[in-house]
Amino acid sequence: MTSAALPDARRDAATATVGMTIFLGATTMLFAALFFAYAVMRAQAPAWPPAGQAPLPRGALGVNTLVLLAASLALRAARAAARRDALASARRRAWGALALGVGFLAAQVIVWRALVGAGVGPSSGIYGSVFFAISGLHALHVVGGLMALALVATFWTRGASAARRLGLCALYWDFVLVVWLLFYVGACLR
Amino acid sequence: MIEATSDRHPAPTGFLARFVFSRDHKVIAKQFLGLGLAFLAVGGFMAMLIRWQMAHPEAPVPVVGRALFGASGGIISPAAYTSLFTMHGTIMIFFAVTPILIGAFGNFCIPLMIGARDMAFPTLNALSVWTMAAATGTLTASFFVPLGAPQAGWTAYATLSTAVGSPGLGQTLWVVAIYLNGVSSIMGAVNYITTIIRERAPGMTWFRLPLTVWGFLMTSILNALFVPVLAAGMVLLFFDRVFGTQFFIAGSTIKGGGDPILYQHLFWLFGHPEVYILILPAWGIVSDLLSFFARKPAYGYRVTVGTFVAVTALSSLVYGHHMFTTGMSPLLGESFMVLTMIISVPAVLLFLNWLGTLWRGAMHLDTPMLYCLGLVFTFGVGGLTGLFLADITADMYLHDTYFVVGHFHLIMAAAVLLAIFAGVHFWFPKMFGRMMSEPLGKLHFWLTIVTLNIVFGGQLLIGYAGMQRRLYDPSVYEFLRPLLPLNRIISNAAFVLGASQLIFVVNFFWSLARGHVAPQNPWEVGTLEWTVSSPPPHDNFDEIPVVAHGPHELGNPLVRERLGRDWLAQSDAADVLAPDEGTA
Amino acid sequence: MPIGPPRDASLDGHLVDGAFRYLTVATAICLAIVVLVMLVALLFHRQRGARVAHYTHGDRRRDHVLTLMVAIAMFLGIDAVLAGRSLGHLETRFWRYPDHDPNAVRVEVTARQWSWTFRLAGPDGRFGTRDDVVTLNELRVPTGRPIYLKLRSKDVIHSLYLPSFRTKIDAVPGLTTRLWFEAREAGHTELGCAQHCGVSHYKMHGDLYATPDADWRAWQQRAADDARLRFDAKSDTALEAWDWDQG
Ligand code: HEA
Ligand code: HEA
Ligand code: CUA
Ligand SMILES: [Cu+2]
Repeated sequence: MTSAALPDARRDAATATVGMTIFLGATTMLFAALFFAYAVMRAQAPAWPPAGQAPLPRGALGVNTLVLLAASLALRAARAAARRDALASARRRAWGALALGVGFLAAQVIVWRALVGAGVGPSSGIYGSVFFAISGLHALHVVGGLMALALVATFWTRGASAARRLGLCALYWDFVLVVWLLFYVGACLR
Repeated sequence: MIEATSDRHPAPTGFLARFVFSRDHKVIAKQFLGLGLAFLAVGGFMAMLIRWQMAHPEAPVPVVGRALFGASGGIISPAAYTSLFTMHGTIMIFFAVTPILIGAFGNFCIPLMIGARDMAFPTLNALSVWTMAAATGTLTASFFVPLGAPQAGWTAYATLSTAVGSPGLGQTLWVVAIYLNGVSSIMGAVNYITTIIRERAPGMTWFRLPLTVWGFLMTSILNALFVPVLAAGMVLLFFDRVFGTQFFIAGSTIKGGGDPILYQHLFWLFGHPEVYILILPAWGIVSDLLSFFARKPAYGYRVTVGTFVAVTALSSLVYGHHMFTTGMSPLLGESFMVLTMIISVPAVLLFLNWLGTLWRGAMHLDTPMLYCLGLVFTFGVGGLTGLFLADITADMYLHDTYFVVGHFHLIMAAAVLLAIFAGVHFWFPKMFGRMMSEPLGKLHFWLTIVTLNIVFGGQLLIGYAGMQRRLYDPSVYEFLRPLLPLNRIISNAAFVLGASQLIFVVNFFWSLARGHVAPQNPWEVGTLEWTVSSPPPHDNFDEIPVVAHGPHELGNPLVRERLGRDWLAQSDAADVLAPDEGTA
Repeated sequence: MPIGPPRDASLDGHLVDGAFRYLTVATAICLAIVVLVMLVALLFHRQRGARVAHYTHGDRRRDHVLTLMVAIAMFLGIDAVLAGRSLGHLETRFWRYPDHDPNAVRVEVTARQWSWTFRLAGPDGRFGTRDDVVTLNELRVPTGRPIYLKLRSKDVIHSLYLPSFRTKIDAVPGLTTRLWFEAREAGHTELGCAQHCGVSHYKMHGDLYATPDADWRAWQQRAADDARLRFDAKSDTALEAWDWDQG
């Protein structure tokens, strides 16, 4: 019922997880609303992609998806290491995850530039509007996650709190991954 | 970063750490209160200007006209009027009522009422107030940019709010301000929910929570779920304005385009829950206070909790009643109408529980109670007028008339505002350690309640007579010209209402400096905040209390017999109510 | 001076007024009960002398049944009655558009900041021909025939408001919305814009003239002749015809 009886560290970890879960619930609603907007736009368009618009580069976006997935796996590995108190290897893996995350962003920027080059930009029509708005906002959430991860990886001290914080990062990262997967499968592939 | 605390941290020293960058929920509550009251005054002042225009179109505004509207010789121009109602609505909802009701009362009451030392995430809490401050800064800036302040109404319907209808920086800043305000609300919601789930004192079961806390819990859930939907709308609107996307700008038949109605779906999917976000804390507060001042347990506590939950669950399913005239499909319209009507069932149950609480009580008519009784009445009228609007046939006529304005002012600007006054009077002693003046409070109450009802009841009449809202000069319409005398009466009542608020301001500051020093438990009630000193110490409780009773054990004969008083603190020993020979 | 809506000039407006009247009476009764209960409590259930409050949590089965019964009674008495009535009226009257009624007068309404344009077919009954009659901020209709409007907007959302006909409908860019009504009596009434559409929203006002059918036909004939004379094929709005089923 109430949690006063638990030891402090575990209590804090549980509290932080509750907070993170609620936060992710809120963020889910944000992306749900965006996907709803996407669905409305697509349902109302006479053709998708509209005539004369270059389709999205599925292959390149697929590669980016894999990079994001790899980052997520690296983060899980880091958390596992932190739980074993293997701090050095946890740190290595966390920085690895960070690098992969930055790689994802860089790869997204490349895709964006290529699309704009092919005449699909945010202002080129509704097709570009939805892709750039949702992938852009997703990228912002990735940036947020990377900043948090960088803070954690730089400032952690004890194994227990490192594992806890990496756990929160991993939870968030999984969320960002799922959002991207949904978008990729629902919007880019179909 | 998110960081949970459970251990006690030392009280900070130094002015900045204690009052500005504090992480103490009680200080943050005061910051929200100050910010909200300041904006309440600004929004109220704008309402006075709106009323001046309705009573005396074409006449310069007295006293302040030259300074504010110099370019038009002191007369409010159409553009200025449009900005006025836009900013009045925006400020009142997002920057006055939200910070006071949720930011200030939520922050102050939740930890104290559930027996916690602070919020679960104190840093996030401080971040929330600073994000709100950034939002107010952005909103204020939007007044002073080229092409003028935002003019699309508080609902900012596309296409009017896109670059097509409102070029210029003002509307863009408005969008950013609303977004930041939403971020602040979400931070608060994450904190409140987590705190209520995790930090309750031992023995504080769900059904021993004060109803105020239940109100905040439901509000926070709605905030966490639906403010992000508004955020999505604001993001897309921002992109449309700044990056040239076209979510809300209709295309042509050849080139697919956006959909202005999509904006309304996003806005009202947030917007209707938002009105319950504002009313739920008020419901919670009034449900507790009616019991406290009738010296009688809250009638049907569990049913009341059930109505809060039901309204929360239904709130997102009825939003389409704001869009009946957009030509939505008949099936959709009819469903929204029926769902809207269903929401009146929990509302009536709640209302009956309030009446049940009063019935056969021993009412003390202290100022907070007066405000609560006023609230019951105005919410009744406001809620019942909601039924008119829920009916599609009636709404075809009433939509976008002053009837709607009257409906929502009776709830938001009367009921919710009265809840704010009740809350300030009630918790002032706990917040600041001094009592507010009763005579001044009563004078303020009577002047306010009478004028409020004239103003907002008058708006209902004007709306029934067909006058549209957001109308700079109604005399353009021949059939509205006979309404001018009534509009003047409303305005005069509004001016008295506005002037009466000065009594509250005086009372507030005078009591802050000179009020009677408050005892620990001036109202003689049992919720946990009254078991600590006024104001509470830095960490709230020297020792985390153990809760043994519900929040409304008032007038229990057993307690009177054993303790000689008619109230029982939630943390009083469990055996006070033991069936056999208890220890007295 | 009594305050009330403008005189009802329409065939179905009384249904709206009826709903309003029913609601007024029903909610007034509720409110009277509320006020009565509060007054009694205020007068007799006050702290005076040694008065002791009646101790109850109101959570016995009896209490729950009582409140639930009142709530359900109120729902049935107000909401359900109203819903039954209004849903019926919507299905049989307001939302039954005269798509196949040869007697209906069709009007294409274009809203823009800040005016209304009304396009009526000429005597040939077809849109997109040289005799289309176009009027600005003025709508002329015959009495006793259904008037079928379709609306579009050139810029932002507007809402055509016909207070004397107890109805309104939005004009939305990118969409075609529709509305129908019938004038019961001849005369002049006002039309306006109900949706905030910018700084001059308040000026988006117009007039509606209802005349007996014969007079209206005469006017239509004259106006169509005029239109033929003034026809300018180069104007990009010269020929417009929306998605009517022109048979
Ligand atoms: C806190 C604010 C708040 C609250 C609580 C409500 C509550 C309700 N509102 Fe309101 N509403 C607004 C704020 C609020 N509203 C605002 C701001 C707008 C306009 C926004 C804009 O366009 O700018 C609006 C607009 C609005 C519309 C759209 C009108 C239009 O634009 O055309 C509708 C339509 O259905 C509606 C309906 C309702 C209903 C059915 C309720 C119900 O929840 C009411 C339930 C209450 C009761 C049913 C009364 C209580 C019961 C009794 C008194 C019973 C006693 C009886 C006995 C004892 C026998 N509201
Ligand atoms: C909670 C919300 C709230 C509140 C409290 C109010 C309060 C008031 N409102 Fe407002 N109003 C709205 C929300 C609110 N309003 C909204 C959402 C709109 C729609 C906007 C739109 O169309 O886009 C609107 C629109 C609106 C209109 C319609 C404009 C139009 O359509 O053309 C009118 C007209 O009469 C009006 C009048 C008033 C009046 C007279 C008050 C009075 O109650 C004001 C009295 C209050 C005060 C004078 C302030 C008191 C100040 C203090 C107590 C400060 C204390 C300070 C310290 C201690 C430091 N309001
Ligand atoms: Cu057009 Cu208002
Ligand atoms: Cu609503």
